[in-house]
Amino acid sequence: MKLKSASKLPALLTCVEARPLTDLAEVELRGCYISDLLSDVLANAQPGVLWVTIHVHRNVVSVASMKDITAVLFTCGRKPEPDIIAEAAEKGIMLLSTTLTTYETAGKLWKAGLR
Amino acid sequence: MKAAAKVVQNANGHKRFKSVRTRLVGMTRKPAVAPEETLKAGTAEEPVTPAPVIEKTPSVGEKRQVSFVQLLVFELRVRDAMTSPPITATATDSLRSIQHLMKAHRISGVPILANDVLVGIISIEDIINALDGGHINESAEQWMCRKIVTLRDHFSLVRAVAEFDRHGYGRFPVLDANNRLVGVITRGDITICLMHQLERRAEEAVAKEATLVATRAADEKAHRIVVNTDVKSGDFESAGKLSQRIREVLRARGVAPEIVRRAAIIAYEAETNIIIHSLGGRINTSIDAIKVRIKATDRGPGIENVDLAMQEGWSTAGPLARELGFGAGMGLPNIKRCADEFVIQSELGGGTRLQAAVFLQKAETRL
Repeated sequence: MKLKSASKLPALLTCVEARPLTDLAEVELRGCYISDLLSDVLANAQPGVLWVTIHVHRNVVSVASMKDITAVLFTCGRKPEPDIIAEAAEKGIMLLSTTLTTYETAGKLWKAGLR
Repeated sequence: MKAAAKVVQNANGHKRFKSVRTRLVGMTRKPAVAPEETLKAGTAEEPVTPAPVIEKTPSVGEKRQVSFVQLLVFELRVRDAMTSPPITATATDSLRSIQHLMKAHRISGVPILANDVLVGIISIEDIINALDGGHINESAEQWMCRKIVTLRDHFSLVRAVAEFDRHGYGRFPVLDANNRLVGVITRGDITICLMHQLERRAEEAVAKEATLVATRAADEKAHRIVVNTDVKSGDFESAGKLSQRIREVLRARGVAPEIVRRAAIIAYEAETNIIIHSLGGRINTSIDAIKVRIKATDRGPGIENVDLAMQEGWSTAGPLARELGFGAGMGLPNIKRCADEFVIQSELGGGTRLQAAVFLQKAETRL
């Protein structure tokens, strides 16, 4: 299955007006998972995806790291504390934030070709 | 006619011997006697003998297994099995004294020497005939068998066996390279020698196996990592440290990512369960070469209905936990799904004990 160029991380920034919180690498995303329940992410998210959530606490980084999630996008303009961002960067997880709601974000990502 | 038959037999025997030897080399075992050597070894005082034949049935290009005993009879020499020094008598000894000699040593044949040179052999049959014929008190040289077939001490046992088959004698005197009589060999001697060798090799194999098992046990012990972590109630900030540690250890050991993930999820869910639901507890983790064992125990208050708790979506998490994204009611089902072994025990008012294990190799590749 070939991914569209729109599935590359920096390209998605524009469609959801996201601001990077960590350094971003030019990587392809294998899909997207949206959930605010950590155990649900642990159970159902695939490795290599973008995770969209409103949670900004440390456990998001732990869960993302455990599932080898590539990037986490926080919605509703939420941002984690600097030490949590630093922890994510250390674990190689990219963090982004958008002012859009989760619903708007999901619609735009889908439209942009992230499936 | 006889000579012609001998040549054919020789050629056949040699050919078969060679094919067997090729396999022996393939099995990195050296035969004690090369076929050329065996053929040259025919001595003046005996007729040329066929090269040893391992199997009576002819086999061309057919796969055959060389048994361990067959390997041994190639490796071992006549000198390894013979009785040495031999019990001998002189040509002037009476048959009566030889009879006593046989009785005393429980043997059935005695080589006869004259001036230290082998001149004949007296067998138990000769003694019986002497008793029968009334000449038991006469000297050995009058009645001994002078037509003697001997073996060389460097012959392989496979050759010795062939000689027994060929001549039908009960024993052979054994000469060394200087034609000195150095021993006597019987079929019984060969059997005993083989049995001893088999026993010795079996003991060696057992000892080797024991060493191997001990080494493996020590290895596994050395590879075991035990991590004991105290988990505080409500300490959401610390959650994930244990599973991070487990992932680091497993990754360093080259465990498959999917298995690492399962172990990490179990540790994380067990940890957050203690944080969210209990008064505090402890997680003991041990990682060895076989599996990761995670044992989570807490001080209560216990689970009222374990079956309900195991049901997906059912949660008793408080508002703070839910605000943080916990309390999905998926913790225990997640653990169970990720674990290869899973046990949970709990009682209301007491504590909860959860034990889970993940094998480091996939089911189909482990024994």
